[in-house]
This record gives sequence, structure tokens and C-alpha cells, in this order.
Amino acid sequence: MLGEIASNLSLGLSVAASPEGFLFLVLGAFLGMIVGLFPGFGPAAGIAVLIPMTFGLQPTIAIIMLAGIYYGSMYGGTITSILINTPGESATVASTIDGYPLAQKGRAGPALVMQAIASFFGGTVGVILITALAPSLADFAASFGPSEYFLIIAVGLLMLTTMMGDNKFKGFISALIGFAIGTVGVDVMSGQQRYTFGSPELIGGVYFVAVAIGLFGIGELLHCIFNGQHRQPAKRLRISFRDKEFWPSRQDYYESRFTFWRGSAIGFIAGVLPGSGATLGSIIGYSVEKKVAKDPEKFGKGEMRGLVAPEAANNAASAGAMVPLLSLGIPGSGATAVLLGAFLMWGLQPGPLLIVNDPEFVWGLIASMYLGNMILIAMSIFAIPLFVKFLDIPYVNVVPVIVLLCVVGAFAINASIVETWILVGSGLLGFAMKRYGYSPAATVLALVLGSMAEETFLQTYIISQGTMSLFWERPVSLVLSVILLTIVLVPAALAVMRPRKAQAAGEAR
Amino acid sequence: MKTLFAAGLLILAIGYTAYGVTTLTLLTSSGRPAAGFFPLVVGMLLILSCAINLWGDWRAWLTERRTGIAPLHQAEPEAEAKADTLGVHAHAIDGGPEFGRDVLIVFGYICGFVAVMTFVGALLAMVLFMLVFLFTFNRGHPLGNLVYSLALPACLYGLFKVLLNASLPIGPLGL
Repeated sequence: MLGEIASNLSLGLSVAASPEGFLFLVLGAFLGMIVGLFPGFGPAAGIAVLIPMTFGLQPTIAIIMLAGIYYGSMYGGTITSILINTPGESATVASTIDGYPLAQKGRAGPALVMQAIASFFGGTVGVILITALAPSLADFAASFGPSEYFLIIAVGLLMLTTMMGDNKFKGFISALIGFAIGTVGVDVMSGQQRYTFGSPELIGGVYFVAVAIGLFGIGELLHCIFNGQHRQPAKRLRISFRDKEFWPSRQDYYESRFTFWRGSAIGFIAGVLPGSGATLGSIIGYSVEKKVAKDPEKFGKGEMRGLVAPEAANNAASAGAMVPLLSLGIPGSGATAVLLGAFLMWGLQPGPLLIVNDPEFVWGLIASMYLGNMILIAMSIFAIPLFVKFLDIPYVNVVPVIVLLCVVGAFAINASIVETWILVGSGLLGFAMKRYGYSPAATVLALVLGSMAEETFLQTYIISQGTMSLFWERPVSLVLSVILLTIVLVPAALAVMRPRKAQAAGEAR
Repeated sequence: MKTLFAAGLLILAIGYTAYGVTTLTLLTSSGRPAAGFFPLVVGMLLILSCAINLWGDWRAWLTERRTGIAPLHQAEPEAEAKADTLGVHAHAIDGGPEFGRDVLIVFGYICGFVAVMTFVGALLAMVLFMLVFLFTFNRGHPLGNLVYSLALPACLYGLFKVLLNASLPIGPLGL
């Protein structure tokens, strides 16, 4: 098995380490760092906005670049978490808790270096685990039927929405909106047109890229404007790696030696589970680290382990999220949903057979992640002063770049003004969804998976002759059905029981 | 506004379902699900969930009106995640002033940009958008705004049109 993995990786390296592959990997990693730097503009938005820039590239090279943006943003997002207490993206929120106090203590340099090392460690552990797990999971998934696929999609979407705390019901509505948009176009089973209103441009369906760019790109931009980011002055920061205090001490490494492993393991598991992703992984990583520490009182006051844990976790999670994407063809987050959409755009057929039919693509992507992490650790340490300089750019000057890229990019995909207006409408919808607690990520995920969900649902219905018995007759389906019911029923039962408990406690008093 | 948005979603859900039921075939002659079956399932779930959602938002709005205490705005998920970790209320982190008027202005500019793009061409539309935007929100730097408004569209036009060979709207100047 090891020999097979080695030969697959060498095949992948021949793609990723080619001059073109390497160039676009560096470009993707660099752009990912910048995407991560700007608060409110996450990897999903970054990938969606930059998809049109990959026109003309080979599919593998394009995806290598887009994946570089995805995991590169995890590295970049922490720089602002540490220096200005503002997470560049949600997965680096937990890093502010100890990262910023470290900077306040005058230890910004060691914090930035340690976060880069933790990110590299978590990312590399994650890619090693992908290498080991993705082919086995794809083999296992090859026996899956429509009922299993439908249930995986349903579990993934439900998990994504239940992670939304008080807003989980709005998350469910967001997913349904995605499904509804996905029904526009020609029905694959019967050939009948649905919701096209006679427009020939809608026969092929609502193109996901325009919706994704609108929801994530324009929507997040409008939300940042709503919060007044465009009226804030630029943050002028200076940092130099030539300073003696820039490098971490031996004690920093020694104290964090187990934290790297714990954070990576927790993050990877969180990443593999659909819906949880890097944000939850980093928060659990931080909480566990604080719980196992002998001196938890130090956390929150500039403790290096409190930075290393979430950083290792969020990078391992971003790698972990690639496992269901590559082996099942099912993304678990907004960013991986956009990546899946890009797979489809390039004519790749996601699913268990992807690894068999397109080994160069899958192994090229995995190999590029090894290389990407190496490039990113070098960039994160030696180019920090350069990236810090990007923070000098006022947000008011960033807004036009995003708008032009979104609008021109959306038009350029199919030279369609209808799609450009869909982008504008999606932008407004994305802003309102973000503002009122809905989930644009769930909408995009449901939109990308909508046709697959419909197809597998109908196949299950037809095979079981309308009884849906496949959901409990097949062992894997049964397990997934139980998980699905648990996700739905346990929170509902808790919600019913909580007021009764409170009432009983009140009466006892 | 939150309640209005929820009401708007409910109306759209009803419209989506009604249009689907009236224009699509639900079952084939052999009794199998047809093109309208899945949209009907989605539409019914949407109507039900949007109605419950509207009811919840409406009650929250009534409570706010009665007590006079209105939250600043919906806390961001990032703020909620951080608040959970720190054990504080999300609005303690995610607060501050709001710029709804600026959102309307920028959205209007974006609509204008898309509307004129097909008539004046992509390059000129980009330049116009940038000039209008920068001279609204960054008035203190007229020369910088002018240079930036010419340089960025030129770079992007070069990238898309020349390097990527993408088709962009062409205006009267041939650009």
C-alpha cells in the first residue's frame, strides 16, 4: 500500500512541481494570504471571485491555484488576528484570544512565527492523512447507492445549519433557497423546462459561479461597508524579521510540543465532518488545549499554546475538508462547495471514481498541498513585513478591486449580462442573509449539490417503489439515517425539555 | 427590516411553489415522480419553514417594540463563535455604528455599472464606476483617485481581454 501511495504521489508531484503548476501554486498561495488578510473576506469569497481568472488554464493547474487560495487564507487570516485583534476570516477567530495579547506583550514576532509553524504542521499532518484516507474512503464509497448519497448530502447540510447556534432554522431555510435555485433549468430526468420563464439563458440552469461570486463576493463586501470598514483608516504597522525579538524562544517550542499534535488531530476530524469545518475545529482545538493545560489561567493572556492549538487545528481542518470532497464529491463548507463547483466547471466528475478516472488531477492536487504548505511557511515567516504592508491599503481602495473582479469576472464566464444581473441580485441576497443571520454557505452548498440531491432522492424513491425503504434497509443508509434523525430530534427534544426543567426548578425554589 | 426580509422570503416561497404546481408535471402517467415533484417538496418545506421563521421574527419584533430594547444588529457568526469561547454576549464584540446608506449607494453604483457596461463597453464602465465610487467615499485624494481609476481598469481589462482572451462588452470606442 505504501508503494502505491509513493507512486501516486510521485505522479502528483510531476504535475504540481512542473514549472506551470509551481508558478500557479505560488500565485494561489500568495493570493490566499492576501485574501486571508482582509477581514470579512473569506476563502469562499476569494475562490469565487478569482475563478474567472483561471480561464485558459488546464483544469489541474486551475484547481491547484484555487486550492492554494483556500488553505493560504488560513495562514494569512492569523496575521491580522495577532497584530490588530481582527480575524482575517472566521477560522482564525480563536487565534485572537491569545495571539493579540502576545502582540500587546511585545511578542508579535514570535507569535507570527509560531502560528506559521503551527499552520505548516497542521496543514502537513492534514495532507498526510488525506493521502492515507482519501483512496480508502473512495474505495468504500464506490459501493454507495443513491440512498447513501442523498443521506450524506442531507447530513452535511444539516450539520452545517446546526453549527449556526440560534440561527440554525435560518440555516435550514438558506439550504432550501439553494435547492430552489438549483431547480431552475431543464429537468435531467424528463427534459421539461422549470422556472426558465421562457429565457434561453436559464435553460442550462442558474450558473453557480455567478451566484457564489454574488453571495460571497458582493454580499460580504456590502456587509463590510455596512460595518463601516470603508471609513476606517489604514492600520500602519511595521514589523521586521531582522529584530532579535522576532524569533520564538526555546521555551515556546518546548511548551507547545504536544499542542501541535493535539490541534492537528482535532482539526482534521472537525474538517472531515461535513459542516463543522475550520472555524469549529479551531475553537474546539483552543478549548481542549485550555482544558488539558495545568495552568489554564494563563490562557487568554498571551499564552503561546493558546495560539498554536487553533492554528494547527484550522489548517488541519482545511485539509480534512478535502477528504469528503475528493473521495465522495461532497463538500462540507462554503469554500469547498465553491471548489466543487470549479471541479464541475472544468468538466471533472466528482465522486469516488474521480480518484480512478483522474489520478493526475487528484494526486496533483494532493501533492500541491504538500508543496503549498512549504511555500506558505516560507512566505509566512520571511514575507510577513510585505504582507503587513498590505494592511496599509485603506479598505476604500480595496472595494473597487473586488467589485470590478466580481462584475467583469461574472460577465466573462459566459459573456452573459443575465448572469451578471444574477450576480448583482445574489449580492444583495448575500448581504441580507449575512445581516439577518442566514447562511450564504448553506445556500451555495445546496445549489451545488441540488441536482445530485434531486437525482439520488428520486432514484431512491423509484427503486424502493415509493416506500423509501432503502433508507433503512441498507446498513450504511441505516447508520446515516440514525445520524440524521439524531441531528434533527436531539436539539428539538432539548428545546422542549429546557423550559420544563426551568419551570420545575422555579417551582422547587 | 429583518421581519420584512422574512416576509419577502415567505412570499417568494409561495410564488415558487404555486408557479411550480401550475406549470410543472408532478407525476408521470405511470405514477412516478416527474419534473415538478422535487420543486414541490422543496417549495412546501420552504413555505412551512419561512412561515415559522416569520412568526418567530414577528414575535421578536413585537417584544422589542413593547420593551423598547432593540439589539444593535444581528451578531456576526465570527462574533458569536468568539463570544462563545470567551463566555460573553456576542453583541459585546460585534457592535458599533452601521452604514446602511453607504450600502445603498454602493449597491446603486454597482447596478449602474452593470447597466451601462453593455452600452459604453467594459473598460469605460469600469473607469466610470471607479471615479464615481472614489469621489464619493475618498474625496480627499483627487489625483490619486484619478490615477487609480485609470490604472486598475486598464490592468484588469488587459488581464481579461488580452491574457485570458475573455469576451467583454465592447463600447463605441471599440474597447
